[in-house]
Amino acid sequence: MALLEIDRITKRFGGLIAVNDVSFDVDTGEIVSMIGPNGAGKTTAFNCVTGLYPLSAGDVRFQGVSLVGMPPHRITALGITRTFQNIRLFSYMTAVDNVMVGEHCRMHAKVWDDLLHTRKARTEERQVEARALAILRRLGLERYADVYARNLPYGLQRRLEIARALASGPTLLLLDEPAAGLNPNEKVELMGVISKLRDTGLTIFLIEHDMRVVMGISDRIVVLDYGEKIAEGSPKEVRENPRVIDAYLGSGASAGMRTA
Amino acid sequence: MRDVDIAEPQARVDIPETAAQTKRVENAAVFWLLVCAGLLVAVLAWLLPWFVEQTASGVGHSPMDVIISSPTGVGWVAVWVMGLCLLALIAGLAYDAFAVRTGRARPFLYSRVRAGIALLGALCVLLILLLVTTRAELVFGDTSPDALIDNAVWMMLTGFLLVAFAYGLRPWVLTHGGLAFTAAAFAIGGLFPLIFNQSPGFVVWGAQSAGIYVLLALGLNVVVGFAGLLDLGYAAFFAIGAYSTASLASGTHGIHLPFWTLIFIGAAVAGLFGAILGAPTLRLRGDYLAIVTLGFGEIVPDMAKNNLFGKTGGPNGLSGVDSPAFPLHAHPWYDFGIFGANPRPYYWFILVLIAGVVVLLRNVERSRLGRAWVAIREDEVAASATGINTVSTKLLAFAIGAAVSGFAGAFFGAMLGTVTADNFEFAVSVTALTTVVLGGIGNITGVVVGAVLVSFVIFWVLPELQGWMGTVGSNVGIPALGNVQYSDYKFVVYGVILVSIMLLRPSGLLPSRARKVELETGTESEPLAAVQERA
Repeated sequence: MALLEIDRITKRFGGLIAVNDVSFDVDTGEIVSMIGPNGAGKTTAFNCVTGLYPLSAGDVRFQGVSLVGMPPHRITALGITRTFQNIRLFSYMTAVDNVMVGEHCRMHAKVWDDLLHTRKARTEERQVEARALAILRRLGLERYADVYARNLPYGLQRRLEIARALASGPTLLLLDEPAAGLNPNEKVELMGVISKLRDTGLTIFLIEHDMRVVMGISDRIVVLDYGEKIAEGSPKEVRENPRVIDAYLGSGASAGMRTA
Repeated sequence: MRDVDIAEPQARVDIPETAAQTKRVENAAVFWLLVCAGLLVAVLAWLLPWFVEQTASGVGHSPMDVIISSPTGVGWVAVWVMGLCLLALIAGLAYDAFAVRTGRARPFLYSRVRAGIALLGALCVLLILLLVTTRAELVFGDTSPDALIDNAVWMMLTGFLLVAFAYGLRPWVLTHGGLAFTAAAFAIGGLFPLIFNQSPGFVVWGAQSAGIYVLLALGLNVVVGFAGLLDLGYAAFFAIGAYSTASLASGTHGIHLPFWTLIFIGAAVAGLFGAILGAPTLRLRGDYLAIVTLGFGEIVPDMAKNNLFGKTGGPNGLSGVDSPAFPLHAHPWYDFGIFGANPRPYYWFILVLIAGVVVLLRNVERSRLGRAWVAIREDEVAASATGINTVSTKLLAFAIGAAVSGFAGAFFGAMLGTVTADNFEFAVSVTALTTVVLGGIGNITGVVVGAVLVSFVIFWVLPELQGWMGTVGSNVGIPALGNVQYSDYKFVVYGVILVSIMLLRPSGLLPSRARKVELETGTESEPLAAVQERA
């Protein structure tokens, strides 16, 4: 059984079919990338997995449990967290507070613990803060713990979003265009971060446009075009797939390349 | 490093980089608040007798007259030394402003001299207090027959102590702003009935208007400030708290529960209704949420007025509510009797209630739940994807906010002895919201200050203004000044406060820094439900 099974999912917005009958699996310990031209339905598929959009048809199973109809926070509690394409940090919270929000669903303090500041709440708060600082250190952000998220440079904001996602202790991490807007140096660093995360046993499923990043780190690539899956396989297989080349460069391009 | 900002709307505020910086700015604000409040109290004390009390020459007394007429002695020296210290501190303030403006460095000894002057003045104040209370020395001449002069003198002392505290201990205040404010606020709050010993009416104001509105502002701040949910019908929960008390402790239904359990029942019932009424609004935000809550705010008092289930007494409301008794009432050893008509026990009780609520809300603000509220306020979709249950978290904000006003309502019912629907009309919600906006949305210290200021202007100055203006009018020869019903203009005052605060300081007097930037640059948060529904 795969870690994440995406089983014939369809998502319609009125007459528009954004994701059409897409199925694939993500196995434990893999780095799987999803690529495709703009508007191919990649982010929509992500939103369907994380519960932001209700599915029109199909099923998503995580460790065998169906996620259909589950609210986003329960999906996070099960062990799937994500980042967003347009960074969605809590801008006016400090970096460490952002990460501490990420640990929300792993905390046990009840309302009255918070109101009365009981020993349980206090010790938990201390532990959570220590863990948050440890995560920041792991991602090289400890210097910025006290800085408001909106004041961080763009590249570090992306990294902080990953830190926040890691805080809930996920088994599957969904990254929506983590390299968008980064400079070449930051992209290399990001690839390092992602493969280091995989080495700690995390499974990673990402959307990315930057082919150097995708080809460099992915074990497997899923290609979407107009909401449909047109290819799946290793980076090498996908690179040579004529349908993928057509989708990216226009129909006939693959034929042209073959003859050239 | 800041190149990202170019794409964003031009921020009109300087945004602090770190939380430590925010803390510094907030502490500085507290320092200025204490200094200004102290000076304001001293100036008011100076003006007070002039307004109200005519002398033979047609102009009123001033504390100066009183001091000059006092018999010479140790107390007399203390009064003069204190006065000189006050003048020295005011001069120091001017020097400070000058030094800051011109960027000049202040001499090294300066802050120590200032602390010394403040300490000296404070010692004089203590000496005066000691002489007056223990030896009944007539430091200020014959003060006891004239209530207002007595009040004015005590106000002068309080104002001086406040300025001396803030100014003398400036370095400490600038590092421990919150603690300094709390200490000053509760010291003055606790002594309030003694300072205004001669005007029980003002103590009634303190308990019934200032105290109630501080509680309402604290509760509304949870909903509007922490969780970012605009609530225009907050008076509904106040009403629910008051009606629960009134029906469980009066002759109307023949139930007489003790006040000390009732106040928690009132809070619990209001909190429950907060969650029930909050539930249908979960998918809404901003204007839409405001309109729905506005509706609730109208519905609840109307249902009470229409004698709901024959239990709410219709337009006459519920009367004959039991007066609270001290917890060990009827115990042979410690019977302190019932509160009755004396405003002081009510005042001190509501002060304790406020202290408790502030402690609880401070705790929540810095906890798991408080962080979740801020996260939802800033970006609901991200909060939900990060693992926050947005439904229960928002409902908790509504419930906790409503429970605080339930406390206020239960207290209000017991103090007035009568609960009618007219006490909970829209104006109450508007006043509560004005206090929160004026004080600084999301900042506990700020909303407390805002509530005291607003209730002072609306519920003390306006009703009294007619009398004062009568005196002034007859002094300056325009008796018509005394014929205006100034209370009728209370909505003009709300309007002026709201418009000027929006123009001059949109985030309130003591803003929470994060809220300040949000208010002035806007956030992009949209409700999770809207995202899910569009899908």
